[in-house]
Order: sequence, then structure tokens, then C-alpha cells
Amino acid sequence: MSAKPWQISNIPGPKTASILKSGEAVAKILKKAKRPILIVGARIVTEKVDGEPLVKYVVELAKLGIPVVATAHSRKILLEHGVKPVATMPLINITNMLKDPEWKGFDGNGGYTHAIFFGITYYLQSQMLSALKHFAPKLITISLDKEYQPNATWSFPNLSEKDWKEALEKMISSLKGG
Amino acid sequence: MSGESLRLKATEVQTTIGVIKGLEVAIGAVIEEEEEWEPMGPTPFPKVTDLRSWDMTLLKRYKPFYAPFCDLCCLCTYGKCDLTAGKRGACGLDIGTQQGRIVLLACLIGLAAHAGHARHLWHYLVEKFGRNVPVDLGGDIAVEAPHTRLICGFRPKTIGDFDVALKYVEEQLVQLLSATHTGQEGNYLDFESKALHVGMLDHLAMEIADIIQIVALNFPKGDPDAPLVEIGFGTVDRNKPVILCIGHNVAPAVEIVDYLREHNLYDKVEVCGVCCTAHDMTRYYSGAKIIGPLSRQLRYIRTGIPDVIIVDEQCIRADIVREAQRIHAPVVATNEKKCEGLPDRTHDPIDEIVDDLVNFRVPGVFIEDPRKAAELVVKTAIKIAPLRKQYKTLPSKEELIELAKKCTNCKSCRRACPNDYPVNEAVQAAKNGDLSKLAELAEVCVGCGRCESACPRGIPIFTLMTKAAEAEIEKERYKIRAGRGPIKDTEIRNVGAPIVLGEIPGVVAYIGCPNYPGSYREVAEMAEEFLRRRYIVVASGCEAMDIARYLTEEGKGLYEVYPGDFDAGCLVNVGSCVANAHISGAAIKIASIFARRNLRGNYEEIADYILNRVGAVGVAWGAMSQKAASIATGFNRLGIPAIVGPHGSKYRRAYLGRPDREEDWYVYDARTGEKVYAGPAPEHLIYPAESKEEAMVMTAKLCIRPNDTTKGRAIKLAHYIDLHKKFFGGLPEDLHLFVRTEADIPITMKDEVLEFLKEKGWKPMKIPDPTLLPRLIRRKAK
Repeated sequence: MSAKPWQISNIPGPKTASILKSGEAVAKILKKAKRPILIVGARIVTEKVDGEPLVKYVVELAKLGIPVVATAHSRKILLEHGVKPVATMPLINITNMLKDPEWKGFDGNGGYTHAIFFGITYYLQSQMLSALKHFAPKLITISLDKEYQPNATWSFPNLSEKDWKEALEKMISSLKGG
Repeated sequence: MSGESLRLKATEVQTTIGVIKGLEVAIGAVIEEEEEWEPMGPTPFPKVTDLRSWDMTLLKRYKPFYAPFCDLCCLCTYGKCDLTAGKRGACGLDIGTQQGRIVLLACLIGLAAHAGHARHLWHYLVEKFGRNVPVDLGGDIAVEAPHTRLICGFRPKTIGDFDVALKYVEEQLVQLLSATHTGQEGNYLDFESKALHVGMLDHLAMEIADIIQIVALNFPKGDPDAPLVEIGFGTVDRNKPVILCIGHNVAPAVEIVDYLREHNLYDKVEVCGVCCTAHDMTRYYSGAKIIGPLSRQLRYIRTGIPDVIIVDEQCIRADIVREAQRIHAPVVATNEKKCEGLPDRTHDPIDEIVDDLVNFRVPGVFIEDPRKAAELVVKTAIKIAPLRKQYKTLPSKEELIELAKKCTNCKSCRRACPNDYPVNEAVQAAKNGDLSKLAELAEVCVGCGRCESACPRGIPIFTLMTKAAEAEIEKERYKIRAGRGPIKDTEIRNVGAPIVLGEIPGVVAYIGCPNYPGSYREVAEMAEEFLRRRYIVVASGCEAMDIARYLTEEGKGLYEVYPGDFDAGCLVNVGSCVANAHISGAAIKIASIFARRNLRGNYEEIADYILNRVGAVGVAWGAMSQKAASIATGFNRLGIPAIVGPHGSKYRRAYLGRPDREEDWYVYDARTGEKVYAGPAPEHLIYPAESKEEAMVMTAKLCIRPNDTTKGRAIKLAHYIDLHKKFFGGLPEDLHLFVRTEADIPITMKDEVLEFLKEKGWKPMKIPDPTLLPRLIRRKAK
């Protein structure tokens, strides 16, 4: 299955993201992930998916034990929703650390295996995923936004609001279902 | 090395005609012996590698971070080469090095634009006024050209003297460009060192361009009370013929103003401008009008208001002739860098050309002589204006709705929009007669026109937006202070100590292009936040214009509310893009005038001083062009960090510090030679922020410097903490890295900060006399 980048001219090169066909598919990947980390950005502050605030899904993922990094000004809304991020920093800072093979993570227990990106400005996210594609080739990157991100390892295709909501809901229910 | 090809010096020479004493001959330029105003530093006219060790010092702490925009290299016939994730191209280059190369190329393009601009202006002004126009910026400015002194090691007395400096820039440009050829440089750090060299040269070229126009054309000379001039679409009287000037090189606009004055026509014709030419027009004549920044170019043309469009160089749309034809306005190109395929009519009789333009026989002409171009556009505008009234350029509301009905909601427009604005939804709403969404888009749109280009149904979306916003656009009338140029030495004397000691919390410069991630208002909102906090706020170029387009709750513009001095709580518009050199120049002047450091050929020491002591930061929220890349890189080499908006990530490279790596943040204490942890200050040299809130918190943080006094640090931390609480919630997680002693803690926040420090296991730190240069250590540690 192939997809076109949401911003049509954002064609990076031969290596592009595999498509996440459903929320269950994301859950399957995350269940196997040894050390995942969730990175959230400015879009979680204001954006909704078919009526549901994006931050709701961050809360759910955090409850499942995935550490959250707050980028842009997303920290405040996370705190308001009871999520204490493991770190607050610019998106490029966490990207820079993720590409460092010597970095031991925020808990000092080693680098992360999966970096999940959610609620981040499309083109900025694309650039950060590009940096990781080239300079952290072992890291698995996942974009949960509704626009296809060709530089990720895994990305949803371009989704409607309704389909995006359905995918996120199924991802959460599958993860909760064990 | 000096700027000449060859220099011979002799104290005494015996010849057949007698003895000649103090002979000095320079081939390539004739120079006079300068009096010893300062001892010459180690690097006058530095060649490409002379400051490499300083660059490597910076790059060791602020490592290049690459985010490739494209995984391929397409620059030679081996290619395309796939460089993904460790693969190398046919020439041996890897993806990181390719990014360094592309960044260098971008900076070179930017430098070439400024240096070409400076050279063109120099020829124009020397031809018009002669080489001997004195570099006299008034009694309050003795350090007239800080970059020229610092980089070249001489003090220019006349505009003719700058020829040597320009030749130096041009020679370096050739060497640096050659390094990007296949088979040349192959190390990413060396590409970055070269990019930093380019950035430095860029500020020199900008300084020359602005100083020569200031002194020759009598622009404001650092005047804080430079006149408030008009800006906005609504400032133009549409009942008069309208001449629109676009670009950066003021020469043709100056000639237009002169022609109108000489022929008593100024009240009969409107002269307005877009982008930096507009800034400089108002510095020459305060009656000229600024339409707005680059982002307003296409919109203003689509209104159909301009009767004649005259272009010079830089930031002019590549489809300017096509767009002008849509509104039946002729184009007059005036600069060799932008001929636009138009016939060269420089030597034809003016009346003949006017006749051709007025009767639409040609879409435009190329006239290389600015004086002749000026006469031509005035005569054409007067004749063509009444004829153009028969053409309607914007559709009626009914026609707009009919055009919108062609929309199939395919979203191609939205997917082409750089900011992912819901263009399709606005067009869909217009189908039903609701134009409000189109009007809202027009307010925040960056004006690229890509939505329209992408539309498979050929709907003129940009025209629809312009029509929907027509009523609002016509109300646009604001005030901007005309670009004042340099910062006065007297001002530096007043603020030098409080800046270096940290008591003025920082200098924040809003510079660059209008490719914003959201509304243009964000720039003004950021500026207002720091003005209220009594930072020194400086602006230039398009961002200086967008700051003017914002009104406070009292309905006043920021330039009307805040004074134009270089002082706490003031708002300084230095002028056009090339006036950016005065912002970096102010930092250099602080080192020179306040700290009495020698400037002459002494780049490394001054950059070290600024990095460690001058709390200045540039914010290029809408950085778009190669010039912006070059300008920012020049700030970086001088030790001034820059924040770009999220689109700035497409420059592919950031210089990032790692606050978690303690070993990166040691400096020498110049008093003892001891290595002292100074905290991550400043944390980055250049980085993209995602949101304005993030940018504001980082702005406050990037103003922190190792040299801050405890009082100054407490003031800076108070702002950092306050902004963090406001936009992020709670205390900053890295606060302990910036508190050196308890005296650094803002008094009103003492309890909560002390509790936080206790949790972090904080211990007091030494406050050094900071330097990264071992040669500046006054006494070695035992």
C-alpha cells in the first residue's frame, strides 16, 4: 500500500514510510516496543479530532505507561490533564538526543526503541523524522497524525477526521485490551 | 593580507630624481597611510581558514544538526545519488556533508545578493556623487563602520574607501563558491566553517550597502526620532496614478522621488513600495508609502491598484510580468540581476517607450539607467492611469461565487498551502455566498499563491481571497518609524554596562522574511511582550513592517507607543535587510565602546566577548530566503544566537547545544585560567521553534550569558521563569543550570526556586570572567 505525502511536494527520496493500516496495527507495534517514547507538540493544545481533543489520546497513552515529552507549548495542557511529562524541550532537542547512540534516555536506562510523534506541525515533524531516518536508522519512528509522513518508519496514510478518530480509538482499545 | 593584489612599502627610496620617504604603493587600490588608531589585530581581511579555529570552537559546543530536505544529490551527472542513512554518492559524499554543502550554497547565494546589491549601489552612488562622499554619520557616531573595522581593519573615510572591502568580499565569494564544486570540500565541519565565514562577510557587505546609502542619500543617521511614515494598502490615494516599487535597491526609487520633486509632480502621483525598497524610500523621503512586506506583493498587484510596477532586485516574484499583465500594468525592470526577458530599451527615446507601454505593445521594458527609468515610469503612470480605469481587475461578489462553484473540494489547494490552511473550506463556503472564511485566510496568508497554482479547476483562489478581503484591505493604515540606521555610540555608552551586566535583560531583534507559521500578528505579539518587559527590541526588513500592522488595545501602533531609542523598553526599526548589519554592529560596538576591546582585525576576540557577555538574540520568525540563512549564520559566528520559525527547519541545519552534556559548557576564567562550568548559555546558536510561545520562552533563555552579574542574572531568570509559567506552566526543568549562587535567584521567587534547587541537588557555582580563548587568560592557573 502506498501513500502520497500530505503536502504533495514533500517527496524525500527512495525510502518512505510504511503505512499503518489501522489503529490495531499501531497497537501491535507498540505492544512489542521495548522502550517507546511519545513526543507531542503544539497541535495538541488546540486541535480536535472529530470533536475529541487530541490531548485525550495523549492522556490515554500516558496512562499505559508510555513516557511523554512535551514540545512547543504543550506542557501546560498536559499538566492540566494530569500528565507529567518526563521532559519539556523543543522538538529539535529531543530529536537531537534520539539520534545520539550514546544517550541513555531520561531515566538513564538506555536509548529508546520507538519514537511516537503526535500533534506536531506537519513540515517541522517531517524534518525531524528525516533527521532520524538518516542519523538514527535503528530507531523506529511512528507518526500518529492524520497526514502521511514519508520520513517516518510508520505513518498513517492521509485520513479523514472520522477515520483518524476511529484509528486512534482502536489503537487505545487494543492497547488496553492487552 | 589587505584588500589589494600587491602592496610595496618603503621608508626611504633613492631615485634619480631624489629621495622619496614613506612610499607606499598598492596595486589594485591606492590607499593612504592610516594613522595608528588602534593596534592591528591578528586577522585583518581574514581568508577562508583564518578564523577556522574559532569556528571549530563554536561547532564543538554547537554541533550541526542536519534535517535533510531531500535524500538525493542531483548536482552532477553521476546522479541522482541516493544518500539515505549512511549511503554515499558517486563522489564519496554522505548525507551530512551534503547538507553542509547545501547550507554553504544557500549562504553564498545570500551573500552574493547583498554583495551584488552593495556593489551596484556603490557604482551608482560614486557615479552620482563621486568617491569622496565622507562617511559622516554625525557627531554621535565615531565608530562608523564596526564590521569594516573588525573584519578589514581599516576606518573608511569616504564611500570610495569601501571599494577595497567589497573587492575582498568578492574575492572570498569566489573561493568559497568553488569549495562547493564536486571533488572539493568533503568534510561537514569545514563546510560549516565556510558557511560561518560567508555569514561574517554578509554582515560586512550589508554594512557597506547601508552606510553608503545613508551618507550619500542623507538617510536618518541613527536618529531615534526618525519620522513616523505611512504603511498599509489604505494609505495610497487611488485617484492618482500609482507607481509601485518592488525590491531592495533604492536607486530607481530615489530617482523617481527626485524627478517628481524637480517637476513639481509629487502631489500628483503616488509612489509606494513593497519590501525593502519601500523601507529605503521612506528613509529618503518620508512622504513615500510602504504597502507592506514581501507577503503583500501578490495581493497588492491583484487589487489592480498599481498603474506601473518598477522592480530593482531581490524578493520580487519571478512571475511579476505575468501578474502585471493580468492587471494591465507595465513592468519596468532596472537591474541586471532581474531583466525578466524584457527588451533592453535603455538607449531608446523615452517618449517612444512611453507610447509602447501605454498602448500595451510590450508588457514591459528593461532600462538599466535608473534616472531614465524614473522619468519613464512617471510619464507612463500619468498617461496610463486613466486608460487603465476601463479594466476591472477584481471580480464582483456574484462572479466570485460563480468561480467558487467550480470547486470540487479536492483539497489540492490546502495540500499546496505551506501552512496547511483550510483553503478548500473557505472556497466551499464562498459557493454559498459566505466570503468570511476567504477574508480570514487573506488576513493570515503568507501570499505565495501556491493554492491557486495547484487548483486543477483553474479557480483564481488568490484573487478570490483578495476580493473577499477588499473592504478590510482598504482600511489598512498604520504608522512605522522610518529606518534609523546605526545605533549611536552615545546610546551604546548608556546601555553597554546594563546589557553586559545583565540589568537590561536582553536585546531581541525581529528580523527577516514573512514566511510565518501563522498570522503576521505573532511577530508583533512577541515584540510587545518583550517591550513590556523592557528588553531592547530591534526590528528590520519585513518583520519591522509586520510589527507596524498591529494595534494595541488602545488602537495605537507599537511604533507610536514605544520610543525609537536603543534602550530598555524601546522599539528600534533599523531599516531594510542590509540594515541588519547595524544590529550585529551594535553588539560589536558594545565590545569596543563599553569594554574598550580593540576591534581592528580582531574578530575572534570580539565574537568571544559577544558570545559570553552580550545578551542578544535574533528571531527570524518567517525566515524564508537564502539571505536570511546567511544573515543568521553571520550572527552566529559573532556569538549571537537566532531562533527561526518552524519553516526554518527547512534550512536543513541547526547549531544545537546539549544542556545535558555538562562537559560542553565549561569556559576559561580569564582571571585564572581555571575551567569553570558556566551553564548552557546560550543553549543554541540557531534552532527552529514550533510555536510563538516556545519562541518567547527560549528568547528569554537565550539572553542569559555567563558574564551576567548576580543582579543581572536574577532579572533575566525572573523573565525566563515568568514566561515559562505563563506559557508552559511551572518552573523550568533546567533552572538549576542557570543559578550560580543564591543571589542569582529572583527575590520574589526565592522560596519556590530554593525548594526546586534542593530537589535537584543544586550546589553553588563560580562566576567566571568567561572566555573560550586560552590566549585571553591573563594568569595561568597553577
